[in-house]
Amino acid sequence: MKSALTPAFLLSLLTLSAYAAEKPGAAMPEAHFAVFEKYCLECHDSLTEEGGVNLDDLSFKIDSVASAELWQKVLNSLNSGDMPPEDEPQLSDEEKTVFLDDLSHELVEAREILSDSGGMITMRRLNRREYENTIHDLLGVEIDAEDLPADTNSDGFDTTGASLFFSSDQFEQYLKLAHSALDKTLLLSKEPPRVMRFERESEPSVNQFFEKQAAKLKRNFDQAQEWRAAAQEKTPKDFGFIDENDVAFHERLYNQQYPTYRQYLDRPESKTGILLYRLFNGAVLDTVNISPKWPAGEYTLKVRVAALKGAPSHERFLEYGVKTANGRAGELDLRGCVEVTGTMDNPQTLEIPVTVEQSGSRSFGLRQRQHNNRDAARAYFLRSQVQNKVGPPPALWIDRIEISGPHFETWPPRGVADLFFKGREWWKQPDEDAYAREIIERFATRAFRIKEPSPAYLEKLYELYSKEKSGGKKLHEAIREPLATILASPGFLYLIEPVPGQSKRELTDLELAVRLSYFLWSAPPDKTLYEVARAGELNHPAKLAEQTNRMLRDPRSDAFISSFAHQWLHMERLDFFQFDFRQFPEFDDSVKAAARREVYETIRSVINEQRPLGDLLKADHVVVNNLLANYYGLEGVEGDAFQKVSLPADSPRGGLLGMAATMAMGSDGNRSSPVERGAWVMRKLLDDPPPPAPANVPQLSRLEGQLLSPRELQNAHMEEAQCAQCHRKIDPIGYGLENFDAAGKWRETMILTQAGRKKKNAKRKMVIDIDAHGQLPGGATFEDFAGLRDSIANQRSAFERGFTEALIEYALGRPYGFSDESLREKLLKRARAKDGEMREFILALVQSKPFRTKK
Amino acid sequence: MKSNPIPNRRTFLQSSSALIALPFLESFGFRCFASAATPVAPPKRLVFLGMGFGVTRDSWFPDLKTTGADYELTPGLSPLARHKDDITVIQNLANQFNNEAHWGSTFWLTGANRYAEPGQSFRNSISVDQVAAETLGKETRFSSIQLGYRGGDNSGHGPGLSLSWNRQGKPVAALNTPVTAFHRLFSDDSTPLGERQAALLQRRSVLDTVLEDAKSTRKGLSKADTDKLDEYFQSIREIETRLSKEEEWLDVPKRKPSQPLKEPGEGLEGVEEMKVMYDLILAAMEVDASRVFSYRQPLDTMIRSMGSTITAHNMSHYSDGPRKDVSEQRDAKQSELFAHFIDGMKSIQEADGTSLFDNTTLTLGTNINSIHYLNNCPTLVTGGGSGIKHGRHLVMKDPKTPLCNLWLSLLNGSGIETESHGDSTGIIDELFA
Repeated sequence: MKSALTPAFLLSLLTLSAYAAEKPGAAMPEAHFAVFEKYCLECHDSLTEEGGVNLDDLSFKIDSVASAELWQKVLNSLNSGDMPPEDEPQLSDEEKTVFLDDLSHELVEAREILSDSGGMITMRRLNRREYENTIHDLLGVEIDAEDLPADTNSDGFDTTGASLFFSSDQFEQYLKLAHSALDKTLLLSKEPPRVMRFERESEPSVNQFFEKQAAKLKRNFDQAQEWRAAAQEKTPKDFGFIDENDVAFHERLYNQQYPTYRQYLDRPESKTGILLYRLFNGAVLDTVNISPKWPAGEYTLKVRVAALKGAPSHERFLEYGVKTANGRAGELDLRGCVEVTGTMDNPQTLEIPVTVEQSGSRSFGLRQRQHNNRDAARAYFLRSQVQNKVGPPPALWIDRIEISGPHFETWPPRGVADLFFKGREWWKQPDEDAYAREIIERFATRAFRIKEPSPAYLEKLYELYSKEKSGGKKLHEAIREPLATILASPGFLYLIEPVPGQSKRELTDLELAVRLSYFLWSAPPDKTLYEVARAGELNHPAKLAEQTNRMLRDPRSDAFISSFAHQWLHMERLDFFQFDFRQFPEFDDSVKAAARREVYETIRSVINEQRPLGDLLKADHVVVNNLLANYYGLEGVEGDAFQKVSLPADSPRGGLLGMAATMAMGSDGNRSSPVERGAWVMRKLLDDPPPPAPANVPQLSRLEGQLLSPRELQNAHMEEAQCAQCHRKIDPIGYGLENFDAAGKWRETMILTQAGRKKKNAKRKMVIDIDAHGQLPGGATFEDFAGLRDSIANQRSAFERGFTEALIEYALGRPYGFSDESLREKLLKRARAKDGEMREFILALVQSKPFRTKK
Repeated sequence: MKSNPIPNRRTFLQSSSALIALPFLESFGFRCFASAATPVAPPKRLVFLGMGFGVTRDSWFPDLKTTGADYELTPGLSPLARHKDDITVIQNLANQFNNEAHWGSTFWLTGANRYAEPGQSFRNSISVDQVAAETLGKETRFSSIQLGYRGGDNSGHGPGLSLSWNRQGKPVAALNTPVTAFHRLFSDDSTPLGERQAALLQRRSVLDTVLEDAKSTRKGLSKADTDKLDEYFQSIREIETRLSKEEEWLDVPKRKPSQPLKEPGEGLEGVEEMKVMYDLILAAMEVDASRVFSYRQPLDTMIRSMGSTITAHNMSHYSDGPRKDVSEQRDAKQSELFAHFIDGMKSIQEADGTSLFDNTTLTLGTNINSIHYLNNCPTLVTGGGSGIKHGRHLVMKDPKTPLCNLWLSLLNGSGIETESHGDSTGIIDELFA
């Protein structure tokens, strides 16, 4: 087609400019029309319409689902290389890169605009976390909502009402969970169950077992020697062996295992206690089994323990957990990890709280800190045995264990006292059934977050009770069905904000209280918040701020901090991989858990201490516990509590980029992934998310089988325009972070390995120095990691913007939309007036109109 | 009747006492008791198996040039050699609207356009198995069975709770472990009939009560919130249907399959887990507990259980070397497990002497071709349930033939009359020619 601009296209350009003045929209820059005309319209104009595709009328303004679909097709066929056809003129690399870059970004924006709900907040179902917390608030018991169907979400947060679905299975699980929660709650006896106590010293049984094993090995070995001495006359059978192989087998077994057992038994410490060890087949545990007859509840495990002289500092940690049916030798469902500071001269007594469930495993194990994996323990043992014949030296000694419980804070338990508000002795009431009716009504109102249930509903609940009662059940049994039914009713499961006859309205104080508490606690309001709301004061900005501050200081705000941070920063990646225990012996489950905690505790400290959000980009301190300090090589940090620790000036730690969790997320458990890391930085820190991985981009295959340095790989990414459009921005950042290995430890060099596909070019290895210099998308250059971190910290406003959008999304329970821009700007303005304090963003948000409005 | 000194299952099946001795075709035994003399055609069944991340591109797909019966099985498919005459490999099927390079299952059976509804960032529509269940599920204890695996989505399936989506385009939950599937399908409630009847009545009163609250909740809700609450109403309706079914089936004990099944262990993962799930599907078909199955398969744990240390996502971006090795091993293992499953289907006989396999249609595939490619979805169809002429490699002329055309063909082939499914444009005639 030779004519210049078609009328339809001109029109769209005109409307575009008029439109652009009004409000932002997604549009391809006009500059690309030349590319379009040169390479596309020849075949795809209104006259030719090859393949049924007519691009003539395609507006450069992407403002409808239909135009987005057509542009998506353009993007897809360019990405896949299907268009332009091979025998037609091709776009230059530069043209293609810029075109694809613009189009993929504009398309993301167009999808966002087209998906924008105009600030509408869809009614939200309690997600798993909120459900667990709400049940705990009502009944005072812990339940595990794992059995509920997952809160699916295409992307975004688990507070997004529109994405929280409901299914029939969900309903049935709610009923089931409610019944089991009520079973735990309704402990109605007059006195609490008797406290059980049990003390054990494990060394007699352990030593006896090891002696027996050692004696057996020795006996077989001695007989093997006897046969060897008499080999001319006698057969192995005469000595109880099958054949010569069997003899050799027992000799080998003796050499492998006997020295280890002997050495253990000869140690003086084994006479007075048990040494936690890594053995041939996993870890040595000290185990306590709690009798199934003992009541469920909170118990205390007292452990008298010491670290052996000379044990390395990273091994002086005791892990504890539950032995599960699936776990192999030495493996635990971990519950915690504590440092051991006691010595053999002066052992310490640790007190560890444990929860004993009615059903499920009642076997608790203690072991030296290590990878939670039998193969790892075995590999570690063998490696050490090669050097010293006996295996790794032990680090911890346990003298004895005592368990006692169950302990109750109050009796009757809080849940019972709340339900049976006139006393648990229902049989003493003048009218039992009237009491039952009151109990049901009170509970329903509380469960509905003090919204009055309808009389018809209450009547039906009461009928459920009566039916059970007339079937011969007692009050406390008959009452379960109606109570469980309440916990599966919409009034409980949904946060309901009706708008009768309106399109939007201001929330009532009570509704505002509910929104606030589910935002900051993932739980219903407490008594204080309800009182402020009932007094009609919560809508006063000062009162609202006061309550928000109080709630942020309350430990319950951990629900907000941890779940928000986890989702905002995409921390689920931390659980995707098992870290290779050979390469990263110290990055075990306990360190991983502490690394995850570090992110949350750092955020908590930034909020509580009224520090700027920018502290998350760069800081002169870290918030760590003893375990993580040990991992980072920071001296002098005592205690299992997370605490602020100052850093030396040249430390790479401080801020998200220096955290083990962040760097581990940017790996696959074996190798660091510069692409993952670079993309994460662009998404989370620079608020410049790369478009989603495009479909159908041809894979690079030219370099297959070659041993490439990171830089060479980076250059390869630049060869194809489809790759270059994103990787030219992503990769330099990722390579700037290569000084952190896959588990977040600092390194100056890295080893490249390449397993050949064919035997002949087997594994090749190369050690290279890390070269971290590069450039940010905005143009700032950096020489090394410190420079990269400083450059990113300089772009604090982008970080603030991204954070604000995420916060709006989490708090309002709907995707951030372009109609939220003015809200975002207001929050930014207010927080920046206070030096960008993280807490100020939260205060500004809860006081904003959208947070106080149902739309 | 043959006289055979040692009766085996086959002779039992042929014997006149088959209906009593053998626990197959539960519903026939139940429903058609009065007319047991008239032979009834075995029911049609459908099975959908979703693999998640795609396959190894150059070693799974047969050569495009060799179509028809005259094609060679690739290394990825070679474990299926003994069934070659009974399988069909189809190329060039795709879902035109899917642009999500990591979502192998979300739209696989639906063909929906995520963005079709302005003001929403996600929508889906009914999956083909649920369409089938509306018809095929009427006669059985369970209208359909969805299977899955435990843990998050690191296997390339994308959002969803199973492969299945209901009429409203909402996710349908799955039985996520062999042990839960086992109990749902085969465990009997040991409480006496009278008590179970009373319990059902009670459950109806519970539903009645929550509906009362739902009705008053609905008052004054916005349009979007009303839609949201409709999910709740819809769920309660589904349970009511399920309860009616349970009432019907209350005095019919769950049948046990001919090969006794043990309760599966709690911690099964990966290949072992998949084997047990296949066994469960087979047993469930034998006793006619359901006629429609979907199974969203674990991939991450599958390759890990095969000794791999890389993740499924890493595997899906193979380059030469370990990643590709894992990917190729996975393809072969998939085919091996599937071949074994087909063996099982062929070994179980129906009342009319045909096998389960003859009356079932099975599809193994995913929405992801390989790496991030979403064109030419890997698709393998087998079984005689929809009258497909097997033993061939079909390459669609149009490289963008809707995958939904296949789903529509399977529906129609299985006797479910419907005009369209998803973005289908018509039946794939070549399947039957």
